[in-house]
Amino acid sequence: MLAQLLVSSITAGAVYALVALGFVLIYKGTGVVHFGYGDQVTFGAYLVLIAQALFGLPFWPAVVVALAASVLLGALIYGGLMWPLRRASLLAQIIASLAVGTVLREFVRAYMGPSAWPFPFLLSPAPVAVFGVFVVPANLAIVGVSLGVLALLFLLFERTFYGRAIMAACDNRIGASLIGIQVSMVFLAIWILSSVLATVAGVLVAPLLTLSPDMGLIGIKGFTAAVLGGFNSLPGAVIGGILLGVLEALAGAYVSSALKDMISYGILIAVVLVRPQGLLGVLAMKKV
Amino acid sequence: MSDTPLLNAENVTVQFGGVIALDRVSAAVARGAIHAVIGPNGAGKSTLLNVVTGLYQPSSGNVSFEGQSLGGMAPHRINRMGIARTFQNTELFGEMTALENVLIGLDRRHACHPLDAALHDGGWRRSEIAARREARQLLSLVGLAEDEGNLAAALPFGKQRRLEIARALATEPKLLLLDEPAAGLRAAEIEVLNRVLLDLRSERGITILVIDHVMALVMAISDRISVLNFGRKIAEGTPAEVRSAPAVIEAYLGEKGAHAFGA
Amino acid sequence: MLARSLFAMVAALAFLAAPHVLAEFHLFQICLIAGTALVVLGLVVVTGFAGQISLAQAAFVALGGYGSAILATRWGFPLWAGIPVVAVAVSVVGFLLGQMTLRVSGHYLALVTMAVTAIVQIALIYSDSITGGAAGMPVPTFEIFGYALSTGGQLYYVIVPVTAALFLAVHNLNRSHYGRALAAIRQSETAAELMGLNVLRYKAAAFGASGFLGAIGGGLLAPLSTYLDPAQFGITHSVYFLAVAVVGGMASPLGALVGSTIFVFLPDFLQGFQSYLGLVFALLLLGFIVLRPNGLASFNLPRALSSALARTGDGR
Repeated sequence: MLAQLLVSSITAGAVYALVALGFVLIYKGTGVVHFGYGDQVTFGAYLVLIAQALFGLPFWPAVVVALAASVLLGALIYGGLMWPLRRASLLAQIIASLAVGTVLREFVRAYMGPSAWPFPFLLSPAPVAVFGVFVVPANLAIVGVSLGVLALLFLLFERTFYGRAIMAACDNRIGASLIGIQVSMVFLAIWILSSVLATVAGVLVAPLLTLSPDMGLIGIKGFTAAVLGGFNSLPGAVIGGILLGVLEALAGAYVSSALKDMISYGILIAVVLVRPQGLLGVLAMKKV
Repeated sequence: MSDTPLLNAENVTVQFGGVIALDRVSAAVARGAIHAVIGPNGAGKSTLLNVVTGLYQPSSGNVSFEGQSLGGMAPHRINRMGIARTFQNTELFGEMTALENVLIGLDRRHACHPLDAALHDGGWRRSEIAARREARQLLSLVGLAEDEGNLAAALPFGKQRRLEIARALATEPKLLLLDEPAAGLRAAEIEVLNRVLLDLRSERGITILVIDHVMALVMAISDRISVLNFGRKIAEGTPAEVRSAPAVIEAYLGEKGAHAFGA
Repeated sequence: MLARSLFAMVAALAFLAAPHVLAEFHLFQICLIAGTALVVLGLVVVTGFAGQISLAQAAFVALGGYGSAILATRWGFPLWAGIPVVAVAVSVVGFLLGQMTLRVSGHYLALVTMAVTAIVQIALIYSDSITGGAAGMPVPTFEIFGYALSTGGQLYYVIVPVTAALFLAVHNLNRSHYGRALAAIRQSETAAELMGLNVLRYKAAAFGASGFLGAIGGGLLAPLSTYLDPAQFGITHSVYFLAVAVVGGMASPLGALVGSTIFVFLPDFLQGFQSYLGLVFALLLLGFIVLRPNGLASFNLPRALSSALARTGDGR
């Protein structure tokens, strides 16, 4: 029974991990915390539906159109919002990212209605028995993609020159530009990449959570996962996500399923107060 | 005159991860003295100020003020005990006027009851008038009387420096810590600064601990100088003693330079 | 002095005349504006003055509304007494929340305050025996001095004076050494701390004030809407209050008033497009934060007006 619980909870955890990866990517890459990312994930799923409705496309072509549109969206968010605000106060940047999320959410609420939409599964949602435990292929896809994205991003940041350039640009904009790295191009790339990742996450997650404008509240769970794992650590995002999923499932089973969410938020507050760098993150020191 | 130093740092060590910013530094500042701390960049001078004012906690060692240990005390409480400081990169309240910057330091002593403040009644009016009068006096002291209504961020650099000092004085310190007050000043301005500091000591009895590179200041007004290098104290004494100490020359000029100097 | 007394007289006259001149719908809107402005004033204090981001305002509003309604329904505590009592209790909660700024700031503070709002909302939904759960609960009638106030035109006589009094108090406090201290903390916490200001205590007090104002606003808005629904008190609504503050301007109390007026009147301008209301709000927030982050109240006319009013009482 415990084994089943753990296996199912890893699914939820993988969802959180996928969202958390997006947060950490943007933070590591540009130094900004994108509070509207959860809503961008939702928007990504809606893009598929909109593409189907507007152009009468079948599912997979619609996904391709959605991915293309999210490239545009990422560029738009960076060019229209984050770049103009690059020297604004932290407060303004936080509010701006909240605003982006709210605009996306309200747009789909107005355009597609406030109620839930069914979203097709990519893989079969029927459970398959493996060693006496039931596993759902659709959920496995989420876990697989999470790990795959992690591996890809990890390679990008740690092993390629481009990735190191991104880290440099994030740490020290002036220094990076002095050695020829065009910082704004780097940031643009990050925003586009994370936007595409958001759509991928949306497509995988929407069938699981049922698609509605408020699905973006998953963002705060993604946050908790990222904080738990360490906000500047990509592996941390995945570990944090899985850990959060497991903790939630355990709390739900042994404490109360109604208060499961509350316990997650409690975890968030506790981690932020007690160990803000999470499990794998590094604490930043402020020099006076 | 009591023999207990006003400020006593004993074997203070400050470590950030693997970096040792201060290594068992000891220094005693006598009451009424002007004590300078010099040393090459990165020697740990600002770190020492940060420890004294409570921004950093020492990894080991102790700092005491008037015999009382400052360990673990919050910076605002240390200030209320009588220690004030200025900053290397001025940390003025840029969106506030010069007068308001100084008022911040005076407000606590003139504070009215929150009810008075909410009603803007007589009690509030009286406290504001008294506070502003004292603030104007302090601005006059550093020669900023005409700038009282100007935004701090809009003041020229030299005036910002003086405003920092006026602001620090507003908290009625017994010990004033100055972090590179002469950096970027012209010769004439440095002379004015020297006179201001000497007057502060003679007329207000304020003890001064100053960090700087500018010898026109340090040599002119210090009673005693401590020299730091790589987080360690390498020399201490009167200006004349320090000027000719071999360790000091070597720290500033390097070994070859020291040989050239005949050390 | 003269300008201020004149202004006060005109304002008093307008206040007394309005219910005889305006229709019930407009009086209702005035009450809505006043209540919302109080909530947003809380944000102006904690975010605009003290520089601390807070997404907990919806939680304070919820606690104020539900708290006073429950006191009235279960223990017969009249609303006119329950609202201030609950507001004081909520200000303590706010103060404790503010103590957390010792450990967190910026992004993490935004997250923590979001989590607090979410936790309060979940608690309200699951304590259904007390709060009616997801279905919500009706708000008892506001009774004072033997009068039962239920319409906008009636609640007007309570909501508007309370709002005016609190606005005046905050305006005055901001132009005293308390306001100076918050401004100093907003600009440089380090320098403020080193000048003897107990920065943590001030930040916690700012949070406490935002809790108090949010709860009073919530307590006053509840009888206006006659029904409390937990779905109205989520993170989205905290962002809504933030939007009002950004558009109106967070630098002064006037901003809360300006922003609230715009947001309350907006649905009227969107006659046939009610479903787009949320989108319009969101776009306003986005537009203002990029183009005019200081909000509307930072335009010259309101500032000239408020500084003219201020100069007369400055003590210079």
